Amino acid sequence: MHHIYCPYCEEMREEEEYSYTGEAHIERPKDPAAISDEAWADYMFFRSNPRGIHHEMWYHAAGCRRYFNATRDTQSYKVHETYKMGEMPSITAETLAQAKGDAS
Amino acid sequence: MTNFDTSTSMESPLRHRVAHTNAANAGVVMKEDKYRGHLNLRGNPQDAAFTSAVEKVLGVALPMAPSSSVRNGDTVVYWLCPNEWLLIVANGTQGQVEADLRSAMDGQHIAVTDISSGQTLVNLSGTGLTELMQKSTVYDCHESNFPVGKVVQTTFAKTGTTMCKLEDGSYDLVIRRSFSDYFFLWLRDASDEYGLSVA
Ligand SMILES: [Zn+2]
Repeated sequence: MHHIYCPYCEEMREEEEYSYTGEAHIERPKDPAAISDEAWADYMFFRSNPRGIHHEMWYHAAGCRRYFNATRDTQSYKVHETYKMGEMPSITAETLAQAKGDAS
Repeated sequence: MTNFDTSTSMESPLRHRVAHTNAANAGVVMKEDKYRGHLNLRGNPQDAAFTSAVEKVLGVALPMAPSSSVRNGDTVVYWLCPNEWLLIVANGTQGQVEADLRSAMDGQHIAVTDISSGQTLVNLSGTGLTELMQKSTVYDCHESNFPVGKVVQTTFAKTGTTMCKLEDGSYDLVIRRSFSDYFFLWLRDASDEYGLSVA
């Protein structure tokens, strides 16, 4: 049993209701024709694969059928936060490193 | 051209599933609320023109809180997501309700879709209900987490469902027509130890 908070349903729901849909905050180039093949390929195919904090999209498939964002640790699977589409994360690798530094 | 009598051509998704066990002392009672009108409504909840038009037609304001519902006579409105609702209306009135909604919201960026033939409403009750729910859904159905009037879209026996808790402690489940055979077979098996009655 792993519970994830849906920012639209506003409650914790079982992981079974969700599906993972890839890296978040990837912006489609405004004028694809004007950019290089390399820049387009980077947008289209290349994704970060961090060990640790990752910002990614999830889909509440069996629930409200909304996409939202999550900040998840790829190593521990801990979901630090979820937030609505259009919003930015409040927890990043930098803020966590900072918090760790402050604590020691 | 084939002529067929439209007055008798309607068939419930669960029409052929009447087998049941231990009906006299059944711990689980299933009752299908057949042929209700189901309308899917989408619109901008921040737009007063939209919300007031819907309220005028339905006689009740759209529920805005997540997982909430409202009732007005035969009409039930479920919150599905911040800009989507399910309206369940009396048998045969869905065409008129849809037309009324369209004329009240003329020119607005909205969607009304009649999905009556794609799903059905099933009521589950009985002394074995709590245990049946515990083995059928991943959602926590304890009364502290699932109060009367709450609407939850989740999985029931791994198929999608929208369920609402009623005042008498029973649940109304909206299930897909294409999954109704599977749903009933699961229900029959899962309720075997309590006894199942199909009302
Ligand atoms: Zn949700």
